[in-house]
Parts: sequence; structure tokens; C-alpha cells
Amino acid sequence: MRAVLRRLGVYLLAAWVAITVSFLLPRVVPGNPVAGAVARASQSGNCNAQCIIAVEEQLGFNAHTSLWDQYVQYLGNLAHGNLGQSWSENAPVSSLIISYLPWTLGLLVVATTISFFAGTTLGIWMAWRRGTWFEWVLPTATFFQALPYFFLALVLVLIFGQTGTMLKWFPSLFGYDIYVVTPGWNWPYINSVIGHAILPAATVILASIAGFILSMRNQMVTTMDEDFVLVAAAKGLPTRTVVWYAARNALLPVVSNFTIAISLVVAGQILVEIVFNYPGIGFHLFDALAKLDYSLVQGIFVVITLVVLGANLLADVVYVLIDPRARQAA
Amino acid sequence: MTIDSTTLTQAPVAGPTPEALLPKAGVLRLPRSPKVIAGLVLLAPFAVVAVIGQWISPYSPNATDPQNWVQHVLVPGTGPGTGIAPNYYPLPLGPSAAHWLGTTVFAQDVLSQVLVSTQATMFVGLLAAAIATVLSILFGVSAGYFGGNTDEVLSLISNVFLAIPGLPLLIVLADYVPTAGSSILLVAFIIAVTAWAYSSRVLRAQTLSLRNRDFVEASRVTGEARFRIILAEILPNLVPIVAASFLFTTLYAIYAYVAISFLGLGGSPTSSPAGLWNWGEMLREGFANNAIRGGWWWWWAPPGLCVALLGTGLALVNFGIDEFINPRLRAAGLTRRAAKKAGIRTRATLGMTPVVGNRAAVPALAARSQSSGEAVLEIRGLSVDYGYGDEAVHAVVDCDLVLRRGKVLGLAGESGSGKTTLALAAIRLLRSPAVITGGQVLFHSRPVGGDGPSGTIDMLASDEEELRSVRWSEISVVLQSSMNALNPVISIGAQFDDLLRVHRPQLSRPARLERSGELLDMVGINADRLRSHPHELSGGMRQRAMIALALALEPQVMILDEPTTALDVVTQREILEELIGLRDRLGFAALFITHDLSLLVEIADEIAVMYAGRVMERAPAASLFKAPRLPYTHGLIHCFPPMHGKRERMQGIPGSPPDLKDLPQGCAFHPRCEWAMDQCRHDVPQLEPLNGSARAVACWLHTGAAKVPAELARPDPGVAEAHAR
Repeated sequence: MRAVLRRLGVYLLAAWVAITVSFLLPRVVPGNPVAGAVARASQSGNCNAQCIIAVEEQLGFNAHTSLWDQYVQYLGNLAHGNLGQSWSENAPVSSLIISYLPWTLGLLVVATTISFFAGTTLGIWMAWRRGTWFEWVLPTATFFQALPYFFLALVLVLIFGQTGTMLKWFPSLFGYDIYVVTPGWNWPYINSVIGHAILPAATVILASIAGFILSMRNQMVTTMDEDFVLVAAAKGLPTRTVVWYAARNALLPVVSNFTIAISLVVAGQILVEIVFNYPGIGFHLFDALAKLDYSLVQGIFVVITLVVLGANLLADVVYVLIDPRARQAA
Repeated sequence: MTIDSTTLTQAPVAGPTPEALLPKAGVLRLPRSPKVIAGLVLLAPFAVVAVIGQWISPYSPNATDPQNWVQHVLVPGTGPGTGIAPNYYPLPLGPSAAHWLGTTVFAQDVLSQVLVSTQATMFVGLLAAAIATVLSILFGVSAGYFGGNTDEVLSLISNVFLAIPGLPLLIVLADYVPTAGSSILLVAFIIAVTAWAYSSRVLRAQTLSLRNRDFVEASRVTGEARFRIILAEILPNLVPIVAASFLFTTLYAIYAYVAISFLGLGGSPTSSPAGLWNWGEMLREGFANNAIRGGWWWWWAPPGLCVALLGTGLALVNFGIDEFINPRLRAAGLTRRAAKKAGIRTRATLGMTPVVGNRAAVPALAARSQSSGEAVLEIRGLSVDYGYGDEAVHAVVDCDLVLRRGKVLGLAGESGSGKTTLALAAIRLLRSPAVITGGQVLFHSRPVGGDGPSGTIDMLASDEEELRSVRWSEISVVLQSSMNALNPVISIGAQFDDLLRVHRPQLSRPARLERSGELLDMVGINADRLRSHPHELSGGMRQRAMIALALALEPQVMILDEPTTALDVVTQREILEELIGLRDRLGFAALFITHDLSLLVEIADEIAVMYAGRVMERAPAASLFKAPRLPYTHGLIHCFPPMHGKRERMQGIPGSPPDLKDLPQGCAFHPRCEWAMDQCRHDVPQLEPLNGSARAVACWLHTGAAKVPAELARPDPGVAEAHAR
């Protein structure tokens, strides 16, 4: 338990750093950079007079209190779940994010779960069947790993998307068919949601699976050289048990590196949501950036950070559960 | 049988295995694997274009071609019949002779944009990676080397940065620093800030393990300054890891730059102050101007593919470095190609060492037959290579051994003489790239409990099923490294249980548990320990547990590969006594491998001495020890000081163990042999029986007319006994 608590401390500190950075930056960067951005945005029509007032108010340019007082107030508001007011949507940021979050989390959880399990399974298989045609998965996976998520998304839209020009199999815009169905617990809506999730999920899975395959394969290859795997074979255990002996151990470093993986997947998904106009927090972050809605940008950043930290904590707990040595230390 | 404790010598403690150490990396010589070559081939054009791109681009990236500017196209879903006001877009031109990659919607040349973009994209990638690498070395190496509070603080900082998701942080940073777009230095710096933490963690771990190595300790003791130690001793050994993390970070930085440019945070070339053309900016323009709906793939596909190809190239080179750092990743890949060339079909599955070449039945020659007693494991003419074809190393050559029922056969020799290879090859457990190139291994089964196959099995001709039926139930193995022989993540009890479940399916769960408890009890461990995990046991207990596991199915043969070498002297003794007691009670035959001859004399009935992959002398234990016939055996025996009797000057064997890749002609031992003759330099001696005794030796001194030196002609106690009767 101690190890997990220690990690929790690191994550709390990370959350505090993220929050402070997002609070401080626009206020302390020299030369009033926001004014420049506002000027450019109003030129392009993205920011009207109302926007300028809102931005200045959000960033406390006209406030008569000190930076420290603003910071304390900001933290106090955060503690109460108050992330400020979005001027572009004219609604509290927290309620907006709560409405975006299910889309992002749903896509993230489903896609990452599929990607993790399919990827590790393929990685195990690849290591075990080294020296067969299966080796060809390696260069293919390397290429897929090198594809930026959003580029893969563009390719999938072009080939399979209804907004593309080729097969037009799957919807490739929005989270559901906004013209036809009404949100709620009805089958047409659920069906539409699933249909619209296919391409974004496929993008995230295809782009992230290679990482899981490759890291599991390398760990597996290394673990298979250990004596206990040789002993398992010498014991005359069935092949699947021997593979399991190795895989169970090879999985440990993969789980402990989940931190990096989840960070990259979340980053990738933000861009994927933008390509598909998928109504999650990534797409709205893009939208808020264009509209200079700094409260919303800050709020989304804080929430994304918390989601990633939560996923990390989950990975830590899983690690402690599957490694008896960590369990003892914990 | 008893053990005279005073003659037990402490074996040298096994050093770290070579694999655990990083290869010494004065110069990072990448393995010339196809992966690295393919990677470099992919990277080369990008490197060239990054430098000369702006000169070879046929047009200016911003120049519009007015001839194509006037064409417009109706956006689908608008205009007549849809009720939506018609909406037009200019029509970009597909690939043509004038524009190889077509034009954008603004009638700009795509090829020129791709070429010009390469420079900024790669510059940001490399610069950010360089900054991040410097940061990670500063944090990682300092944390690892200084330890203590410094480590706590620095690790905390890097863990915090690692936990914060990189791209969102980058977006916020880039967004609040709007001038960032026009200054690629600033962009690179911001990317580096979000990218250094992972490498820092890796470098810290590696530094931690390096700082306790002997050569670093040595410089510390001699009073070298810390800074110098880090610079001269630590950093050169981190080169492969730094290189790998540099490439990894370059890849990440390029993605990050492309991503924030795609989001419009990288500065547009047309805005003021103007940003630079890069691939992300091209993708953004294409995406923002409906290139997807329009099907104008030539506009956005090239920059995306460039990122992917560049990334693939970097990843492939990184594989090469990974294989350099961790040779395990490399080994099988290389031999697979060689195997293919040699026409050998190998399966990667563990525990099926491939058998190739001439496997014609090897006759039990007079020379091969030995003294009385029923054989249980008969090894005839066994040869093992590591690798195939020209690169093959002959690790075991034409070896004969007979293990008799209920007896202990000792197998002695220096490290690398092929003892373990011989034993593991006999039960087909050698890993790739080992290949059995000839011989027979006959297992004559006469099961005690009545289950399992009866009769003779040729292990080298068996299929997987047949091998599995023999494994552990008839032949079990105890390896040297008790630390690693037990699966670290499951309990001792579970490791007994899965064995019994497979081989004794008739036992119920409680019965299996009871049997496991009995077995542990037999080697002096409390049955409660079944619930323990391997890391909770001491080294000696782990080895005992392993022995209990090896006895679980009452095998006819037990292969003991240096079972006590990694343990301290007291524990060694206890375990040996335990083993001998068990052998006397249960009557299994044992093949006991060790480099410690004096230990073998205590427990073995017969001893075989190996040198450079060949069995060179074979004799009853007492005969071999008291009256060696082989110069090498003589040398081995006189390496160990006797505990009783007058003090004698010890002499080791001069020279060093042979290099199997470059064996001398003739007898492999002749360069180190004080009695070497001319014949020894040309002809390989064969193992031949010595007249009138149950022993054999492979040495020219004992054949023909050569005069046998007095040291090698001591009276054989075995023969004397026989005469006395």
C-alpha cells in the first residue's frame, strides 16, 4: 500500500504543477502575448468585443487584486469544482466538461482496452513464434507506430468514411447523427453512437496497438531467456503453461510503462477527435483554442491531466496486484 | 557415502552474466542488421532534403500558379436541389508533369512545400531532442550517481513531468506563448521541456547500476573527482542508451511539432510574424480547406507519409540500438537467416532443440562400452553446434557418456568446456542458436511407479509429445541459478501444483497440496512455505525447493548442473549431504556437473572430464582423482590445495581456456600441456580405453611408444583393488 500511496503523492504533485502552470503562464509571460492573440483572432472574426472583454476578465488583466490572491481564489474555486465560466458557450466550464467527458472516456477506455489486450497477445505470440512468417508483423507494426494518429485518421476517413470519397462505409463526422436521432436511451441513438465510434476507435487502436505489440514482444523475448521458463519446459508442462509463465513475467514492465503509453494515446486521441469532430474534450479543446476561451482551455487541460493521472494510478494498483514482490514492498 | 568437509573448496562465486552488463561502448558499433540498414536508407533522403530542400524545390512554396486558380468546384451537398446556398471551392490540380504532387487549393506546388517543410520539421525534431537529452542526462545521471536526497528531489521532478500528459501541456504552453510559432527555437525548447522525463528515468536506473560496478568503485577509491568519474567512467557506458533515447525523443519531437502545427499553434507561413513551412502546417491547411471531402489526397498524404517514413526510419535504427543493448533480442534473428540458408527448419518453441545432420545409429563400440551396470541414460557420439554453417561454433564434439541406474556420474571441466551444453542437449533443452548435429541419446526407461513409457527412447528422435512424457517424470533438472529457476510471480505451492496437475492428473487438489508439503518437508523446509513466493526464500532454501520439485515425480535420472555453485560453503555442504541422502533413499541416477573436481570425488561413482567440447578422460572417481592419466586432469586436481599432509606448492594450469571459435590444431590442450609432443600438435586424440582398466583417456601419451611421465602413471587404486581380490 505504501508504494501506491507514494505514487499518489507524485500524482497529486503533478496535478498541482499542471494547474499552477496553466494558471500562471498567461499571466506572467512578458509582453502581454494574449493581446496579440486577441488582435489576430478579432481580425479573423473569431473574437468579437464580447470575447475581448471575456478574455481579459478570465485572465485577470483588469483585476485589482494581487496575483497571489487570484491564485488562491483560483485554487479555492477548483477545490469546489468551479472551473470558471466559458464565454463562448456561456455556461460553467465544469458542466461543459462533464458533458464532453463521457465521449472521450468511452472512446479511450474501449479503444485502449482492445489495443492493450490484442497488442500484448500478438506480442506474446510473436515472441513465441520467432522465426516464422509472423516476423512480418514487426516491420508492419513499426510503420503503423510511426504514423501520427491524426494522419491515420485522415486516411481512414478518406477510405472508409462517409465524408471521404472512396468506400463511404462508416460515418466519420460527429459523435452521432445529429439530424436524425435524439439523444437518450433509445436504440437508434445508441446504434448511431456505436456506428460513429467505429472509425475513431479503429484509428486509436491501429495507431496505438503497435506500441503494445513491440514492447510486449521485446519483454517476452528477454523473459524467455530466463531459467524459470527453461525449467517450465523441462517440467514437461503444456506449451500454453510455459508461454503463460513467460508472459506473466514479461507483462510486468509493460504495465509499469503504461504511464508513457497512456500519455501518448490521450495525446493522439485529442487530435483524432478533431479530425472526426467527435464531441469529446479533445475536439472542444481545439474549438476553445480557436475562440480564445481560456477558461475552457484551462479547465480541459486540468481534466485531461487528472484523467491521465487516474489511469496511471490504476496501472500502479494493477502492478501491485500482479507482482508479489511489489505487493510485499507495498 | 559421507562428505569430508575439509576437502570442500569454495567455488568462485559466479560473476555477473555477460548479458547483464551493457556491452562496452567506446564506439557505438551498430550491428549491421537489415533493420538498421533499412532505417538508414529511409533516413538518408530526409537528411539530404533537409539541407538542400529550398534549392531543389521547383517553385516557391508560397507562389500561386494563376492558371489553376480560376477553377472552382461546388462543395457536395450545397447548391441547386439541396436548399443550401451553393458553395464553391477552388479546385486543386492533381499530380501532373508541371506539378509532380499536384497543387493545393491555393494553386501552390505541393512538392515544393514538402521539400521546403523538411528543414524546419527536422530542425525542430533534432534540436528539441538535443535539449531534452541534455536535460535528461543532467537530471538522470545526477540523480543516479549522487543518490540520497538529490536523487529523491530530481526523481520526483522527473516523475511529475512524466505523469503530466505531454501534448496537452505542450498545447497550453504553445498557446500561451503565441510568439512561439514564429520562433522555432522557442518551439523546440517547449517541446524539449515536455519530452525529457522518460529518458531521465531510464538513465537514472542505468547510472544506479553502473555506479556500483567495480571499475567505478575503483576510481572512487583512488580519489578521483566525482565530476571526472561521471565524465570518464559513467557517460561512456551510457552512450547506447543516450543514443536510443535521443532517437526516441527526435521521433516524439517531430510528432509534437507536427501535432501543434496541425492545431494551428506552430505559426502559419502567411501570418505575421510568419511561421515556417512544416509538414504539420501542410496537413492543417489541407484539413482546414476540405481536402478530405474533396478527395484531394495528393495535398495532405505526402506530408503525413513523410512523417511516417521518417518515424519508421528512426524506429528501425532504434531497434538496432536495442539489440545492441540487449543481445537477447538479436540472437535468434540472426541465426534464423543462417538457418534458412542452411535449409534447416527450426521452430521457435522452447524445449525442442533442432537435430540435423547425420543421425545414423551410432554403434556401441568396444571403446564406447564401459564397465558393468545397467545403463539408464546413454549418450553416444553427441555433437552440438552453436549457429549454423560457417559461423557455427562446435561446443560439443562426439561425446560418449553412460549414466548407470542409481549411480552418480560426475562431469567436470572449466567454464566453457561444454558440460552444460552436453547435458542440456541430451534432453533437448538448449535454446537457439544451438543445433544438435549428430549422435544418439538413449533413455532406457524402467519406471518405478509403473506409469510413463517403458523401454528405450531416443531423445533426439522423439517428438514433442514423447519428450514431454519423459520430462521431469523420468528426467528432471536442477540448474545452477536457483535464484532464477523458480517463477518469481507465483507461489512455490503453485509451482508444485501445476507440475502435479499435469503429470499426476489422478490426484485431487488436497492430495496435491499434501504431496507438495511432503516434498518440501523431505528437503527440510516447512510445508507452510508453499504459500511463499520465491523472493521470500533464501538462496539455499530456493535451491532446496528446486530439488524437492525435481524429486516430485520420482524420476529415474536427475541432471544437476552446478547445483551448489551459487551458494555459500556451509549451505553447499548441507545441500550436498541432503542430495546424497536422498539419492541413497530414492535411488535415482544423477549426472552431476561441476568445475570442482574435489567435490565430485566425494559423491560421484564415475567422473568424466571435458575440455574444449570433448570428453578427454573417464574413470571411476577414486582412480581419476588418485591416478589421473590425462595431463589436464592432473592440472585440475593440483589446482586445489589438500587440507591434510605436507604443504605443497600449488601449480595452476598455465595459459587460458581455449577459444572454441579458434581451437588449436591437434589436441586442443597441447598449448597448455607440459608434455606435449609433435603428434599432439597435428592429430586429435580419440577417447580410447586404457589397457586392463575400466577407464578411458584421449591422450597420445598413453598410446603407442610414448613414454608416460611419472605423474601420469601413478598406480590406479581401482586396478589395485581388483588385483587384491
